[in-house]
Amino acid sequence: MNNEELDRIIEKSFRTKPDFHLPADFAQKVTLSVVRREQLKNDLYEYLYLTGVLLSLLSVAVGLYYYIDKELVMRTLTFVSGNIIQVIFAVFLLNFILFADRVLLRLLFSRWKMNE
Amino acid sequence: MGVPLSNFRMNDSELISQILKGNMNAFTFLVNRYQKLVVHITGRLIQRQDELEDVCQDVFMKVYQNLGKYRNECKLSTWIATIAYNTSINYLRKFKKVVEVNPDDSVALRNLTDFVSDDYERTDLHRYIHEQIELLPVQYRTVLTLFHLEEFSYQEIEQITGMPEGTIKSYLFRAKALLKQKLKFVVDENSLKTVKEITHEQ
Repeated sequence: MNNEELDRIIEKSFRTKPDFHLPADFAQKVTLSVVRREQLKNDLYEYLYLTGVLLSLLSVAVGLYYYIDKELVMRTLTFVSGNIIQVIFAVFLLNFILFADRVLLRLLFSRWKMNE
Repeated sequence: MGVPLSNFRMNDSELISQILKGNMNAFTFLVNRYQKLVVHITGRLIQRQDELEDVCQDVFMKVYQNLGKYRNECKLSTWIATIAYNTSINYLRKFKKVVEVNPDDSVALRNLTDFVSDDYERTDLHRYIHEQIELLPVQYRTVLTLFHLEEFSYQEIEQITGMPEGTIKSYLFRAKALLKQKLKFVVDENSLKTVKEITHEQ
């Protein structure tokens, strides 16, 4: 068999596109995923930022009250340490409401909208 | 979302600056422009149609996340091909599918199947070679795709894969030699004539 001819056939095969394909709307799907991911990232940042702000405000308030009414702060602390389970549950619940409002509901809503 | 981009042509740097400004239409345009490159590299490496979409999506996610770090030191296609290559290799490593290249090529040669010359009328020779390419070790398939299909230079392939130029040349040569070795003894002059008719070659 002629070597050059065989070379030519092989090289032509090398240049033939492989039989792999993506769906026609692949680019739109990727863009949508990117948008959703960015949105989720922003929502999470916003949630963390708000949590940080709330914690800072609470710390400032406790700090100020410590100078104004030390006894009230001490009583509050005693109450907290005495009812630690309930307090943790309340904080967790409030935090979850904030998380649901800022992140979870938006995520579910965007998914629901996309599936429509 | 920004200005629709389907009606005019944009060069890569304009496209990047639009994406970095938050124009998601520009990103869709970029995905459309480079999805063939990504699907060829990723498809040839992972060889799984059912996983292909997810891996390609992962590639473009990384492209989007790292676009701000892209400097014009190489072509955008080279940069995207590098991400596609690394993502596919990581996918293969994750599922322990990377097969090391045997230096004497005997394993690779054993993987290739025989072309039955009596079947040439029913079998497209190109199709046969195509199937054999998919049976070659991953490094061979990578350089073949990048060099012959995507027409990257040796330097660009070196940039994408991290393989030295000599190794790339050697893989290209050896891949061709392996296929020739399989074909040379099974295709005679008459068969070749018929093959040319089948494949409409001059």
